[in-house]
Amino acid sequence: MPWIGRRDAEAFEVFYDRHGGAAYSLAYRILGERGAAEDCIQEAFISIWRTGGRFDPTRGSVRSWTLSIVRNRAIDVLRSRAGKAPKLTFDDEEILESRPSGELTEEEAMRHETATEVRGALSQLPDEQSKVIQLAYFGGFSQSEIAAMLSLPLGTVKGRMRLGLEKIRGELAEGPA
Amino acid sequence: MNANEHDRRLEEVAAYAIGALDPGQVAELERHLAGCGRCQEELRWLSPAVRALPEAVERQAPPPELRRRLMAEVRSDAAAEEERGGAAETRGARGEERREPARSHVGLGEWLRGLNVGGLTWKPLAGLALVVLAIAGGIGYAVGNGGGSGGAHTTEVEPGANGIAAKVVTEDDRGELHLAGVKPLPQGRVLEAWVERDGIVEAVPALFAPDQAGRASTTIESMKDVTAVMVTREPAGGSDKPTAKPIVEVPIET
Repeated sequence: MPWIGRRDAEAFEVFYDRHGGAAYSLAYRILGERGAAEDCIQEAFISIWRTGGRFDPTRGSVRSWTLSIVRNRAIDVLRSRAGKAPKLTFDDEEILESRPSGELTEEEAMRHETATEVRGALSQLPDEQSKVIQLAYFGGFSQSEIAAMLSLPLGTVKGRMRLGLEKIRGELAEGPA
Repeated sequence: MNANEHDRRLEEVAAYAIGALDPGQVAELERHLAGCGRCQEELRWLSPAVRALPEAVERQAPPPELRRRLMAEVRSDAAAEEERGGAAETRGARGEERREPARSHVGLGEWLRGLNVGGLTWKPLAGLALVVLAIAGGIGYAVGNGGGSGGAHTTEVEPGANGIAAKVVTEDDRGELHLAGVKPLPQGRVLEAWVERDGIVEAVPALFAPDQAGRASTTIESMKDVTAVMVTREPAGGSDKPTAKPIVEVPIET
């Protein structure tokens, strides 16, 4: 991201327009409140603006790097709220599908395809596998915390997490039917 | 390691990939990952599944006001920086003190205390780079200063116990750091360079990783007043402050 070095506000604006929607959606999903999600995005993007040259292209895309920063910040907020459970719904089909396909760039279309695949894979997972994955990723809970929360043996949580992730990965590898 | 034990490791790899491994187990798994090709492969294979998860959440349109607030702060930041830059140039022309570093930084003493190597009294910077070198253990030591041709100036560090050699080539205000003999990094780790100016350690923005031959390079945009260049292994995405002891340090003669 050479614009970081140049401190190019206009380029940063384009960057926000490209990834801000996904970032905000993720923050809202984790935090469950619009105000908290907005604060999270403001802080995360300002942090990227000020120190964003840390992006390492060998470790993934700008988008996944940005979303990981947003996720970590949102999880920190969540952890600072004692006893607050994460929102656990998974119904984004309607909004994504409502976008006119003509508006999608090739990159967006690929993301749309990925989203469809992941949603499809998640919907096909047994509830118990889906739940541990969502608690881990969107709730920021460790395996031990999930085991205690669901009153399950730790080994069961570990097994469900691995199986669930492998199924999602398999779905991505195979592509849509 | 028998098959059951390895299955247990693979379950830990899945938890590690999604960030749910219990904190007390992370370091142990990372050590295992460094030497286990099968687990590295599993981690590489699972990572796209984790990266895809945020793409599947229900889309929410961020409020336009958020964009306005964010960009107002960014533009104000950029304007203030430009103003500071201009003022610093003016001060510099008059021989006055330079401005503070704009990036996040950490005092060297704070860094060392954070790494549990305290108990020593750190003197303000004279020779401190070499003290860091000594406590880091196994890292290289400077063997040459001042080499180079034309406007370039080269400082080299011979391989230490960890086998890493380093060279900093400074030309005008810009520096190139070259490492050799760097072992492959565990998954989720990256090299991050740091420069020390006036006792303050600042991050070098670009992260880097060794190639298959163990070579790694990065650029240091400004070598002004730099007294040492260091490299640490950091989590992917880099750190605001060093979280590990340096694998190499190059004292720079000023």
